[in-house]
Amino acid sequence: MNQATREKGRPLPSSAFAGLLCLAMLAIYLLKTPSAITLAGITDLLNNTVVLALAASGLTLVILAAELDLSSVGVIAVSNVIVATLSTKLPSGAFISLTLVCLVGLTAGLVNGWLVAFLELQSLACTLGTMIVCQGIALLILEAPGGEVDGFIMNRLTDTVFGVIPAAGLILGLVVTGWLLFRRTRLGIAIYAVGTDSVASRLTGLNVKGTKLIVFALAGAAYGLAGYMLSAQTGTGDPRVSNSFLLYVFAAVAIGGTSLGGGRGGIIGSVVGAGILTVMQKLLFALGVAEFYTNIFNGVIMVVAILFGNLSAIVALRQRVITGRHKNSQYARQ
Amino acid sequence: MDSESRSVNPGVVALKPETITAFLVLLSAVLMMLVMKLLNPTFGSIEQIAAILTTSIFLVVASYGQGLVILLGGIDLSIGVVMSIAGMMIAGLTNGSNEALIWALPVTLLSCIAIGLVNGLGVAFLKIPPFIMTLAVGTAFFGVALGMTAGSSQRTVAPALQVLMSARISGIPIPIVLICGFLIAGSLLQGRTATGRKLYAIGSSIAAARVVGLPIEALTVAAYAMSGLCASFAGMLLAGYSSSATLDMGDPFLMPTIAAVVIGGARVTGGKGLYFGTFAGAIFLSSLSTIITVLSLSQGWRNIIQGGIIIIALILQTKQWYLFSMVNRRLTGKRPLYSVLPQNSESQL
Repeated sequence: MNQATREKGRPLPSSAFAGLLCLAMLAIYLLKTPSAITLAGITDLLNNTVVLALAASGLTLVILAAELDLSSVGVIAVSNVIVATLSTKLPSGAFISLTLVCLVGLTAGLVNGWLVAFLELQSLACTLGTMIVCQGIALLILEAPGGEVDGFIMNRLTDTVFGVIPAAGLILGLVVTGWLLFRRTRLGIAIYAVGTDSVASRLTGLNVKGTKLIVFALAGAAYGLAGYMLSAQTGTGDPRVSNSFLLYVFAAVAIGGTSLGGGRGGIIGSVVGAGILTVMQKLLFALGVAEFYTNIFNGVIMVVAILFGNLSAIVALRQRVITGRHKNSQYARQ
Repeated sequence: MDSESRSVNPGVVALKPETITAFLVLLSAVLMMLVMKLLNPTFGSIEQIAAILTTSIFLVVASYGQGLVILLGGIDLSIGVVMSIAGMMIAGLTNGSNEALIWALPVTLLSCIAIGLVNGLGVAFLKIPPFIMTLAVGTAFFGVALGMTAGSSQRTVAPALQVLMSARISGIPIPIVLICGFLIAGSLLQGRTATGRKLYAIGSSIAAARVVGLPIEALTVAAYAMSGLCASFAGMLLAGYSSSATLDMGDPFLMPTIAAVVIGGARVTGGKGLYFGTFAGAIFLSSLSTIITVLSLSQGWRNIIQGGIIIIALILQTKQWYLFSMVNRRLTGKRPLYSVLPQNSESQL
């Protein structure tokens, strides 16, 4: 289909622009606060990034398949309260709760996938439903903020491994490596195909429904892990993960150059996008900017990052044979 | 409304599936209330129904703008912030005096339209995905409002607005009259004017709309501006209802506006949906949240029921639509008319 044209004039991925932006901001931040250029400082930065990056990675898979998923905050809330209530009560609670949050995430994802792929509901709306249900479940498990996270989780996952590699960095590295391998698999390619044109994919014999189901399930598991990492950092449980976090997850994906219309982008960009958003918070804090300016900057940076991405897309389009529109969604692939 | 469209436009098949959807959604809202009445006989007095309708006005008005934007295949995530800003502005500018309302009202409306314009310009000309553009604009203007007001308005809303939300005309609360007027005006604008039909055309196929020569950019900007306008109306009414304003009072309405549009039968990717459907979705969601509040349940169970019912409503709506369109096609041999433009579509905005 589009594969041939894509291979021919392979442009710089739009995540490259996001990467440059991220590096530039990081450089300014490190110049401004030289104390952050230590292992501890960098570990701290990665710790702050990893939750958003994990959630954004999960969402990226769903968006690549041309669906949307709002359930991340719900699943993160559930896994956060699970870790906060169980990890200290059970022997080797750290591992039991890890398995449990993965299972919970998978289940939520499978429900989403079933609703979207097999009942053919619109993903934006039905994942809104599962998000609200998950938030309800989180409130049932833990009515008010509290609980306690096992010290093992809190210390190990926020510290360094072997004294040199930040654990959060290791996790991010695993995610990126896993993605680089995964996107070359049959399933990985199928996700791009389904996201680009699901009708054509079905006609070529791809299992569109199965692919979507798996994508949602993987995303759910990623949200579960994000909740686990969130617990490691906060050390406590909070059934109310704010909805603005959801918007940041989407922003990270979009800044990373993944087209919200599906079929274009990747997890590396989303990790970079999460990095941009985190470094920006740190930078604005380091510069002593008041909270309301932080909001304004957040908005401006989002737009600027997307504009950069669009520029790269325009450059790419010049090299590419335009074969026509693929989808109905309005501004999906400009 | 439906009978009228049937007689005027002979090309429309006897019953639009979207209209059926909307009626079913309304019916299920009524059923929900009847079940509550059976379970709890004290529930469901006329007063309570009137209260439900009164509080539904915010969602009914705000989701109209969301519906227009979704019709184009976009989305507006700044509605919550715009509602808050409108409420804060009207409270801050009037400061409890009715005289100030004369200039405060247009200033508030224009400011919120301006926010909508920024959204529209970014989406139409800078080609930024609507999801990000509206999110970024919402975040940025939230920052601006936070910087100017420190979070909550210390001033009271003009009494006239408060009266508007509580007074009655010959026994009927004014908000209910407003809802009816808004429903008629909104439906006519969306479904019966050339501009409205062009939005359907753009949402159905932007490439076809471009070939036909529709002013895509201008209409996109107009839709987002309209969304800002509706959100500011909703925000001012909300401020009048609660007689004060805070900077987070609009937030709980953002997600329900999207849910209302989709439950009402619209397609998120654009080109399909009636305002009557969105209206039904808004009434459904408002009565759902009122009923859930009446049930003495913990917040967790309320969320689970609310989310579950949204999903069930979506399943019923989707499946019902499939069944209906199948039967309809077999009976009439026609496809539901949606992407077909009326003849007067050439006239400019």
